[in-house]
Amino acid sequence: MSQEMVLNISHLYKSFGNNHVLTDFNLSVYKGENVVVLGKSGSGKSVLIKCIIGLLKPDEGTIKVFDELIGDIDDVALDRVRARVGFLFQSNALYDSMTVRENLEFPLRRHWIAVTQEEVNTMVMEALEDVGLVHTVDMMPVELSGGMRKRIALARTLILKPEIILYDEPTTGLDSITGSEIIHLMIDINKKYNTSSLIISHDMNCVRRASDRVVVLYNGICYASGTYSELIHHQDPNVKQFFEQDYK
Amino acid sequence: MDNPTALKLFLDEVGDISRFAGKFLTQWFKPRYEIAEFVRQCFVIGYQSLPLVGLTGFIMGLVLTLQLRPSMVDYGVESQLPAIVGIAIVREIGPVITALIFAGKIGSSIGAELGSMKVTEQIDAMEVSGTNPFKYLVVSRVMAAICMLPILAVLSDAISLYGAYLGVNIKGATSFRLFWMLVIDNLAFNDVLPAFIKTFFFGFAVGIIGCYKGYNSKKGTEGVGHSANSAVVISSVVIFIIDLLAVQITDFLGFN
Amino acid sequence: MIKQPFNNIKLGAFVLSGLVFIILLLYLIGKNQHLFGTSFHLKVRVDNVQGLKPGNNVRFAGIDVGTVKKINIINDSVIEIDMVIEEEVQSVIRKNAMVSIKTDGLVGNKVIEITSAKLSAPTVENGDMLTPKKLIDTDEMLRTLNKTNNDLAIITENLKITVTRINNSKAVWNLLNDESIPKNLNQSLANIRKVTQTAGFMANDLQLMVSGVKSGKGTLGKIITDTVIAANINETILSIQAISKHADTLVKQLNATVADVQNNLNNGPGTVNALLKDSSLTNKLQLSLLNIQKGTDGFNQNMEALKHNFFFRGYFKRLEKEKIKANGKTQTN
Repeated sequence: MSQEMVLNISHLYKSFGNNHVLTDFNLSVYKGENVVVLGKSGSGKSVLIKCIIGLLKPDEGTIKVFDELIGDIDDVALDRVRARVGFLFQSNALYDSMTVRENLEFPLRRHWIAVTQEEVNTMVMEALEDVGLVHTVDMMPVELSGGMRKRIALARTLILKPEIILYDEPTTGLDSITGSEIIHLMIDINKKYNTSSLIISHDMNCVRRASDRVVVLYNGICYASGTYSELIHHQDPNVKQFFEQDYK
Repeated sequence: MDNPTALKLFLDEVGDISRFAGKFLTQWFKPRYEIAEFVRQCFVIGYQSLPLVGLTGFIMGLVLTLQLRPSMVDYGVESQLPAIVGIAIVREIGPVITALIFAGKIGSSIGAELGSMKVTEQIDAMEVSGTNPFKYLVVSRVMAAICMLPILAVLSDAISLYGAYLGVNIKGATSFRLFWMLVIDNLAFNDVLPAFIKTFFFGFAVGIIGCYKGYNSKKGTEGVGHSANSAVVISSVVIFIIDLLAVQITDFLGFN
Repeated sequence: MIKQPFNNIKLGAFVLSGLVFIILLLYLIGKNQHLFGTSFHLKVRVDNVQGLKPGNNVRFAGIDVGTVKKINIINDSVIEIDMVIEEEVQSVIRKNAMVSIKTDGLVGNKVIEITSAKLSAPTVENGDMLTPKKLIDTDEMLRTLNKTNNDLAIITENLKITVTRINNSKAVWNLLNDESIPKNLNQSLANIRKVTQTAGFMANDLQLMVSGVKSGKGTLGKIITDTVIAANINETILSIQAISKHADTLVKQLNATVADVQNNLNNGPGTVNALLKDSSLTNKLQLSLLNIQKGTDGFNQNMEALKHNFFFRGYFKRLEKEKIKANGKTQTN
């Protein structure tokens, strides 16, 4: 594992009115590393991930992605960064009005990556092969099951060959078997394309299997950090509560 | 916000919509242009609304004629029925009825579509995918509404006039040529142009309010439903307000 | 995209049909207002446009041939109307055509009506100024009509009263039935006859005298030598001349009187008319006039004879010379 830092968050503050979600949050992600951010609902995990991709603007602090300071760069540069960062939304965010193919083509065309229709077709099929859903290419998202939709969303994220993938609660809303399949797929892909990943989750199955490192987000700060096996024996009750749940 | 009154909330909303409209006005002419999406929205918003708009227009023309006839006969000016119906349709009925139907169909669908996109993070996904969702979703839809409503209103006028022609012929015999001559003879640019121009503003109002409501939809299915509903209600009211302003402005400019 | 094949074609058809209709509508309205095609201008100045507006129709012989383009106020009593007319009718509108502002129906729009005059004139040219007719608007017309009606009512009333009065008035009827008037008239005519008879006798006497002179009897020598007698003769002749002049005016007056009587009473009722139409009376009148004529004729002959008699030739020549002199004087004066 190289020591090249792909993502660096320092002293991040973000609040909505009187609700201080993130207060002095620090985090670094290195190349090829899978980091899981663990936290309760409403603890600001999704806010964190949206700040990274530039969907939300932090109140204070800096976010550095591939040496680019998000928030300081213009829209064109931000788009260039976004093309290198994949984002798997919690609700998949598949475009209802488009077929699976169009959904996958969308980021390709929007980022001006593939030019010819042939290249586009090749990349679409490759991404669908990676998630094992080649046969759904001309279906509409509403015709697919929840797990299939998640996989298509993953395929759409993968199609740009991102260097970092941000997963926003990838297993939420899925049954445990389907969730396991998704986690398996995530690990495979990370290995195949050697991507770093930042996974937001409170699913301990996911944390245990996918994480190289776990960060506990509590009260807006990076409360604890370590590998799964380190944290599972952590004595702090605020950390323990996540792992206790895992034993049940 | 401490104890927000209804008035305060209303003004807050008006301010938000104004800001949203202002953003549209500063964004629509800047690249990148979402031509393909604009054309697609024109098809959805314009072409697919035609059957509904045409049907209501036809019925309005027919009914208006039948309703006006007794009074016209009482005053002994039955022969002027095409003229008066023509003026009513072109000046007011055509544009306003079309805009209201348009608000009902398009305002709600834009509100619901963008609302559900917002709720399911599709708008965020677009932004992440190197697309300015405001341009891709809002500008294309509002522009399509601005361009399509005038065309719908014009076609509705035509269909309404045909309905009026049939209405005239239910209890009398007027050749289409004579009917048409009577209509044209009594129309002036002052009748057609202000009515045509105001439909652009109707289209803008329907589009921008539908998009605003959808774009700022609250989470959950209830939020989406509320977006669709309030988009229709607000844009219908705004249509009448614009109509009121339009008649004042044309009056002021001496076009009446 | 893939879901809706041919949507571009449908959309194109939709947009085109809308544009075609609005353009057609605007074109037809424009054509109706004579904005397109070749046209020319005519002007007319009136003192009141009676609510005429730009865009109102201009009619020639009841056909819409143009519209009012502009209405300019020149001063407080002159307003100039600028009309746009189709070029096709330029060859039939003449320079002396009259222009009036009318109302299309009782409550309709104002229209300008161009009416041909009876007399021929050259055809109009671009920018010509036409003459306005007395402008009648419905209001004024109705007002006038009302006044006329009122007047008529008063006249009828007066007429009724007059007729009633005449009917009830005995004096008028008495006057009309009075038989003394024709009697008096008859008397007058008899007097006239007497006068002419006297004139006739006088002429006879003169004739006798003159014939005496001709025959040279008796006092001839005296006459030739005695200047007193010559002077007397001179005087006599002058008197005769005066009398004949009087007779002339008398006849004229008589003529006028007769004509008046005829005019006034020819168709009148009652005995007056009957009397005048009495042919015997007329005959008598004619006889009288004939007598006068005979008398004067005879007199003329006598005078002519006198002129040629060498005794009197010198005298008459002198008379003539004086006459010519007098005429010359009056002419030079």
